[in-house]
Amino acid sequence: MRSISLFFRSVAKSLILISSLSIAAISVVHAQDAGAGAAIFKQKCTSCHAIGSVVIGPALKGVNDRHDQAWLLKWIKNAPAMMASGDPKAKALFKQYKPAVMTAFPELSDNDIKGILAYIKAEGDKPAASANSTATDASTGGKSGDVSDFMLAGLIAVIIIAFLVILVLNRVISTLERILLQKQGLAEEKEVEEGDKDRFAGLKKLSKNKKFIFFVVLLAIIFLGSVGWMGMWETDIHQGYQPVQPIKFSHQLHAGINKIDCQYCHTGAYKSKNASIPSLNVCMNCHNYVQATDKYNGEISPEIQKIYRALDYDPKTKQYGPNTKPVEWIRIHNLPDFAYFNHSQHVGVAGVKCQKCHGPIETMPEVYQYSPLTMKWCINCHKETEVNHKGNAYYDKLIAAHEQLKKGQKMTAAVLGGIECGKCHY
Amino acid sequence: MESNKKYWKGLEELQNTKEFVELNKHEFAEPLPIEEVLNEAGLSTITPRRDFLKALGFGLGAVTLAACQPAPIHKSIPYLIKPEDVVPGIPNYYTSTFNGHSILVKTREGRPIKIEGNPNCLLSKGRLSARGQASVLDLYDVSRLKDPMYNNNSTTWGEIDQFVKAELNKIQAGGKKIRIVSSTVNSPSTKSVITDFIAQYPNTKHVQVDAVSYTGIIKANENSFGKAVLPRYHFDKADLIVSFAADFLGTWISPVEFNRQYASNRNNTSLKNKKMSRHIQFESGMSLTGSNADTRIPLKPSEEGIALINLYNALGGNLSGGKKLTNNPNADKAITLAALELSKAKGRAVVVCGSNDVSMQILVNAINSLIGSYGTTIDLDNPSYQYAGNDAEFVEFINEMNRGEVDAVFFLNSNPAYNYVNAKEFTDALSKVKLRVSFADRQDETASLCQVIAPNHHYLESWGDANAFENYYTIVQPTINPVYNSRNAEQGLLIWSDNAVKDYYQYIQNNWTKNIFSRSNTTWKDLLQTGSVYLGEKPAGTYSFTKDLNAVAQTIVNESNALAKGGDNAVELHIYENVAIGDGKAANNPWLQELPDPVTKVTWDNFVAIAPKYAEKLGIGEFDLIEVKTGKYKITLPVLIQPGQAIGTVSIAVGYGRTKAGQAGSDVGKNAYPFINFLNGTFQTVSSATISKAGGSYELAQTQTHHSIEGRNIIRETTLKDYLKDPSSGTGHRHENKFDLWNEYDHPGHNWVMAIDLNACTGCGACVVACNAENNIPVVGRDEVRRRREMHWIRIDRYYSFNENGKSITKEKELKHLDNMDNVSVVYQPMLCQHCDHAPCETVCPVLATVHSSEGLNHMAYNRCIGTRYCANNCPYKVRRFNWFNYWNDSRFDNYMNNEFTQLVLNPDVTTRSRGVMEKCSMCIQRIQAGKLQAKMEKRPLKDGDVKVACQQTCPTNAIIFGDGNDPNSEVAQALKSERTYYVLEEINTKPGIGYQTKVRNTVEV
Repeated sequence: MRSISLFFRSVAKSLILISSLSIAAISVVHAQDAGAGAAIFKQKCTSCHAIGSVVIGPALKGVNDRHDQAWLLKWIKNAPAMMASGDPKAKALFKQYKPAVMTAFPELSDNDIKGILAYIKAEGDKPAASANSTATDASTGGKSGDVSDFMLAGLIAVIIIAFLVILVLNRVISTLERILLQKQGLAEEKEVEEGDKDRFAGLKKLSKNKKFIFFVVLLAIIFLGSVGWMGMWETDIHQGYQPVQPIKFSHQLHAGINKIDCQYCHTGAYKSKNASIPSLNVCMNCHNYVQATDKYNGEISPEIQKIYRALDYDPKTKQYGPNTKPVEWIRIHNLPDFAYFNHSQHVGVAGVKCQKCHGPIETMPEVYQYSPLTMKWCINCHKETEVNHKGNAYYDKLIAAHEQLKKGQKMTAAVLGGIECGKCHY
Repeated sequence: MESNKKYWKGLEELQNTKEFVELNKHEFAEPLPIEEVLNEAGLSTITPRRDFLKALGFGLGAVTLAACQPAPIHKSIPYLIKPEDVVPGIPNYYTSTFNGHSILVKTREGRPIKIEGNPNCLLSKGRLSARGQASVLDLYDVSRLKDPMYNNNSTTWGEIDQFVKAELNKIQAGGKKIRIVSSTVNSPSTKSVITDFIAQYPNTKHVQVDAVSYTGIIKANENSFGKAVLPRYHFDKADLIVSFAADFLGTWISPVEFNRQYASNRNNTSLKNKKMSRHIQFESGMSLTGSNADTRIPLKPSEEGIALINLYNALGGNLSGGKKLTNNPNADKAITLAALELSKAKGRAVVVCGSNDVSMQILVNAINSLIGSYGTTIDLDNPSYQYAGNDAEFVEFINEMNRGEVDAVFFLNSNPAYNYVNAKEFTDALSKVKLRVSFADRQDETASLCQVIAPNHHYLESWGDANAFENYYTIVQPTINPVYNSRNAEQGLLIWSDNAVKDYYQYIQNNWTKNIFSRSNTTWKDLLQTGSVYLGEKPAGTYSFTKDLNAVAQTIVNESNALAKGGDNAVELHIYENVAIGDGKAANNPWLQELPDPVTKVTWDNFVAIAPKYAEKLGIGEFDLIEVKTGKYKITLPVLIQPGQAIGTVSIAVGYGRTKAGQAGSDVGKNAYPFINFLNGTFQTVSSATISKAGGSYELAQTQTHHSIEGRNIIRETTLKDYLKDPSSGTGHRHENKFDLWNEYDHPGHNWVMAIDLNACTGCGACVVACNAENNIPVVGRDEVRRRREMHWIRIDRYYSFNENGKSITKEKELKHLDNMDNVSVVYQPMLCQHCDHAPCETVCPVLATVHSSEGLNHMAYNRCIGTRYCANNCPYKVRRFNWFNYWNDSRFDNYMNNEFTQLVLNPDVTTRSRGVMEKCSMCIQRIQAGKLQAKMEKRPLKDGDVKVACQQTCPTNAIIFGDGNDPNSEVAQALKSERTYYVLEEINTKPGIGYQTKVRNTVEV
């Protein structure tokens, strides 16, 4: 059940993705040089500028109106030189935004710059409301899966069972009535039945075949039993668990597209038991200026704003306030009770890749539990995985001692005692 | 797939009402009627078939539905801004100070969870006492005040400051006296703050008084040598120790240090050099120290002084008042013997006395001078500052209050309403004082009589320092933000005295820079890393005693006569401090309350200890309630029959009977402080009393009697004489098994084993509390201990033996039939899971919940255990513990785990076990795994000493050694090679992983 709906969900998602991409593509065609400018803008400008708001440098909305194009071309190519030459406009800008100095971009051609300016113009002209409406759409869309699959399935099952019960009861009633009538010697209706006899003859005959009934019942019991048995084994396994998180953080964007190393945020993975969710100061290293304003019509992304709200940070004044509120993430990977797991042993010592347990995390817009996290799953891996002992002096003696006992065998974690109870349960 | 929606069953759950939360904690709304079911027809009632099927069907349905639960929602909340040094999952260690001992505080995610001794500490050398181990729990004590109090109402610090300052100004103008009453303060910064306070308010005086006083020794040294100090004792330099009722291994002055020194002359290393100290103890009650002595002589308090005079005379003195102890010929013999031995061991011996009587201590000084102890075993030039109370000054303070001369009093770490000899006199006098301020962290007996309570920080929350002995300075640094709204007492004094430096942290830094850093090459940062500064030892001078002793002897004789004059109906009452609870300051600590007293194994109560023969004579049985009465006070307590107690004496411990200690410690036992007398300028712990049956009985919760040894030969001991002839004497013959039912286990990697030296173990109990803290062991309370359900993974078994005329008896039940039980000797044996290679528990577990590892450990998988308890039944060592309740989620066990504050002390690397599973010592497997992981990450082999188990780490005498038996150079492998090694119940071929080394007694035949 779960996997089917998972499949549907992913299909729906890709459909939405495809359609939104095509819409975007159509609008891009509309202004070609603005499109090329957009790419350069994102690459070169966004670390200091946004369209609608002041970041490090000024907001760029309406820059085409404030300055003439010739001045802008010169300024963007080599701002420090202009300031040195004593240009009054340049001096005024520097005064306003010091100590930040506009970087020189001698590598940009005039056409490139014109593209950027066209893009800024196009972006600046967009109505501000559209960003908000898309944001609300997204949030309502996220709540669609409210009635859980389990409840639906249960309801359907109950209806089916009720229907079956009614059928059986009907049948029993009619049989009883017939027997009653037969006893009273009233067999008039027999002739009426004769007419239908031909149609259900085969079925009726079969239903009187005790061997056949036994076979059907046996099959049903085996089928239901094994379904139940399999279901029981799935108890408390939450593979695919994907709770709604307080911030829609996308690993696909951060780890996949931007290729940020896992360790940059999950600092504990190599040295501690916990990989640990990064504290917000780690987020702020980038999101101090990365505000995705281009996607939200000059506004700061609502998800990034959540970081600011939690820290009580005002992006305009760049001041931190006292009313902080921690972000309450929902834990996805819940290990069974009484089990000890240490990230550093697996990631640091054994060199296991994050993806081995967490799946293709760099492609997940929202994280879900990839592995079953059952003991069987742990043990299987311990039985198959060879110990990463090369160049680690800790293992030298240990391997030598085991080598004597288990000549030629693969030196897996299990051989070194990795499947003993007390290694994980204490 | 599941959404994170919250489901609820009813409104009370939605609103989370108090009743609901409370009811939810219980699995059943009311206690199970097990008793009724068992007593009545219960099990023989007939269940009709239909009912049975109904129940079965319902059960199946319920289980099926319960299994369909959605994924649980666990919140994961990271730091907003993570402190740079904190990595979740990795502990941080900070240096600090407990009672003058430098310690290391282990913190996880910012909360202290365990305390270890600091290897740099000159007193403890990295070891720690039971009380030190337990002190971390006090930090989270819910009985502590949440806010400052003014007239029993919560208030703010601003209002307190305003009020106290205004009052102080008025008092200053009025010219009446101000008093600061504290227990011993040896912190240089606190002292300096008080001096500054006195400078601001010149009518102030600082009165120091200790609940258990050492004024006698200090006064005696002033009298004898002109030095009013508590000397430092060096038991490690003493080949012969003669102690008169000084419990120096249990409670006297500096027990952790003394344990280490004492064991250094009795452990494996010392024995290999064919050397062992000799220890003779004279005492009335059986103390921890007495139970470790080579020769122990029961002696009444009234005979103690006379015995000292006799000893002095036997060493060549000539004092009147000495006489034959006609009622105690053994003591007479022993005194002669001791004198003989002392004169042979001049310069290598020490005589100590536990009395607080100045005269007796002067006489002890004279004896020590005769045997040349000064400059060798006793050091007067590098004195100890651990106790500095002055009893007479405190009594004078009460007189001042009574005369109406005192207008303001501040109580710092002091609780006279509980521990003063006459609480009513104190309370009445206190009511005449206008401004009463207490710095107590809870509303204790004294604080509840004060207008203002300005709760002091716990030491783990505060800055501070200590100076335990000459030139040894240690730092107290905070390891957590204050748990409650408390404040440093010193901070208050600084504010109230308008000090130029308002911040105590700054004040300490200034003070250290001025007075200590200027004399050493250290900086503040060095100090925080190492925890202490030692400015070097001064040369210890030799002192000889020259004063006239006749007046002293006369006082001693008079006191002795006064004690003895009660006649036949009277008994001599001896008040003592026990190892766990001490003076009662930490009475609200459930770990300490449940730590069995080393000798009697009693938990959660004090009692009247009485000799078996004497009890028989008086017709008193064990646990009978008796009334003990002196001229001014009486209490009713249960009796404990104590072999080795001097005939005609009873002993009662102080530290109990607190009325306002808090949830765990209030109304436990009875207060014995009022029995103490103020006599000749000091508080004296002995008096003459009468005892009478009060009717009824009261069962004490003892742990030792829970297991029977079935007469098996578990303890092995020998004498030094035999040991020198044959080092393996006393170990019994080794059992060589020719055949074996089981296959051998391979231990190709590590082989974790342990060696326990019975000759080094003094039985102090530090390991038990260390294990509690490390392994999240529940506290079960008095009733459950009575039901034999204590959960300690390591226990210290105390075995009595009897040696006279070649007759030796080891069975406890036989002891009752012996006529004379004065001469019992005691052996302590730490008993924990032996991690047998052929473990009997493993073979009987039907679900394979306890299995053997390739590293020689016996693993216990809690989630497999179904609680058949076969393993406990089959364990010959009786070390398995069963969880009868969910101790962490049951309001009947409210004193420790089942509380959101005290839960913070739990070790996150060890699970809390749920009801119905078995548990036992895991050899601190979490530490083994952590040690191995550290080595793997650093890509180096595991070194000996990388992994230390909790009991080993804290043991003051290094009696417990743990390590890899496969490493021939490891400390443990070396220790197990000792000829003294034997294995408990070796003959049943369990192949235990723990080897014990025989107890050796340095007995001398008279």
